[in-house]
Amino acid sequence: MTTRRAYWICQVLGWGAYSAFGLWIAAQSAGWRPSLEAGYFFYFLYSIGLTDLLRSEIRRRDWLCGPPRRIFLRLSLAAVAIGVVQAVLISSGVLVSEGRHSSFFEAATLMGVWLGTTYATGAWIGVYAAITTKRRRQENETRLQLALREAELRALEAQVNPHFLFNCLNSIRALVVENPALAQDMITRLANTLRHSLHRDLGHTVPLESELEAVSDYLALESVRFEDRLRVRLSIDTEARALAIPPMLLQTLVENALKHGIAPSPSGGELLIRAAAERGTLMVEVENTGRLGQPQPGVTQLGLSNVRERLRLLYGDRATLQLKDRGSDRVAATVLIPKLT
Amino acid sequence: MRALIVDDERLARLELRRLLADHPEVEIAGEARHAEEALALIPKLAPDLVFLDIQMPGMTGFELLERLDDLPQVIFTTAYDQYAIQAFEVNALDYLLKPVAPARLATALAKVRPPSGQPRLEQVFVRDGDRCWIVRLPEIFLLESEGNYTRVCFGTERPLIRRSLNALEEQLDPAMFFRAGRKQIVNLKWVEKVDIAVSGGMVVTLRGGRSVEMSRRQSARLREALSL
Repeated sequence: MTTRRAYWICQVLGWGAYSAFGLWIAAQSAGWRPSLEAGYFFYFLYSIGLTDLLRSEIRRRDWLCGPPRRIFLRLSLAAVAIGVVQAVLISSGVLVSEGRHSSFFEAATLMGVWLGTTYATGAWIGVYAAITTKRRRQENETRLQLALREAELRALEAQVNPHFLFNCLNSIRALVVENPALAQDMITRLANTLRHSLHRDLGHTVPLESELEAVSDYLALESVRFEDRLRVRLSIDTEARALAIPPMLLQTLVENALKHGIAPSPSGGELLIRAAAERGTLMVEVENTGRLGQPQPGVTQLGLSNVRERLRLLYGDRATLQLKDRGSDRVAATVLIPKLT
Repeated sequence: MRALIVDDERLARLELRRLLADHPEVEIAGEARHAEEALALIPKLAPDLVFLDIQMPGMTGFELLERLDDLPQVIFTTAYDQYAIQAFEVNALDYLLKPVAPARLATALAKVRPPSGQPRLEQVFVRDGDRCWIVRLPEIFLLESEGNYTRVCFGTERPLIRRSLNALEEQLDPAMFFRAGRKQIVNLKWVEKVDIAVSGGMVVTLRGGRSVEMSRRQSARLREALSL
């Protein structure tokens, strides 16, 4: 069943049941009269109309987004306003059918009618908001899962990147004779890197510390290949080490820097990893020698857009990723995320 | 046989050097760390054979080959390059996958032709988009000028190379290749039929059906070349 159909069925059943119930109660004291039946029938119709109008307003203005207090305030005002409109319409109906001297026009009755319409509309809004929010959360969760799957896949590709893997094995084969101790070390690090990429849970954040460990294994392997073409510097705040970051975030930035900054240059370059805790924010930055080129055909920035999507899903608009030229010969990718442990 | 190793990774060069130690017929003339360096070294060392990595900083192995006037025999070395390997398999260019198996290296070396001793151009490297070929000159039946480029006709392929027809002509063996006119050079080994045209010039028809018309002056020279 489509969402649209479900919505209309709920509208008709909900307001229909409520109006029928109201009519039955009213008929108990006042008896069954065509004017009463017509009044409730009209109430049924314009309640559907008014709440449908409200629904399109909520959607158009994104009223269910923002701080909970503001959402509550907006929706309460809407309930009161629609309650007033409904009460006015009911009163007009009574005025036409019974004249202005009807007992209906006593202050207490009018108050009761207005409260009744406001409660009914308020209940409608409550149910609508609850259903919509739940659905949104599910959608968001699904998208997060999707983005994570994608990151996982990409990470697997990057780490078990065949080009990386076979070059690495080739280097190790050479090292076995030239420097057996280093060859052993490389084999351990390669094992770590492969294990890290196979046993990963991207659904949760990890301490920066553990992400750094994985990245340093990866960089050690690449350093053997690049030798003096790759110069790595780290500058990590002690406080920042324990803070939480999305897994594979740093790894993606480092891979990107190597691929676009260091690898294309015959003389290589420098890679700088910085992390600092500043007030409520954790700053993680990867800077490398190079320039941001014109977007080339075939270069999709898939890695970075995936990082952006994951940040958005995890932190909303409280996290940012910026990629910018710095000075004349450097590029920096800077991530700011809320400070959490 | 003199060989040059072109690879951006020192350990990869070292490894290949060690593997080549089992093949005393191969003398390593030098090493280049990237394509730019190789571009300078190849004319100087004139190696018979080049071991060439594909992915390198600055310029790829393919781009290097496109810039060489005189093409040595090439064995590509690559860690993993699906597209390139597809291209090689289609064209039977030889390649080695890193890490290199010693037996595989021996097979590749067995296919390398011994140096011929004459400085003539023997093969050209041609790339057309994703596909590339190393074409032996006898396979080429026609070369056609297109501005600064030359269309190389062999088999069913017609790719362009970035060299002028005049520049190419200087390196070709005149006993095999004949300048038919301003725009064309034909391979005499591919000539199937010669007709006299209405204008008095000749029309040569090549195996495969392609025909090329020649001026009177060129026709006279052709008669000499074919000793008609």
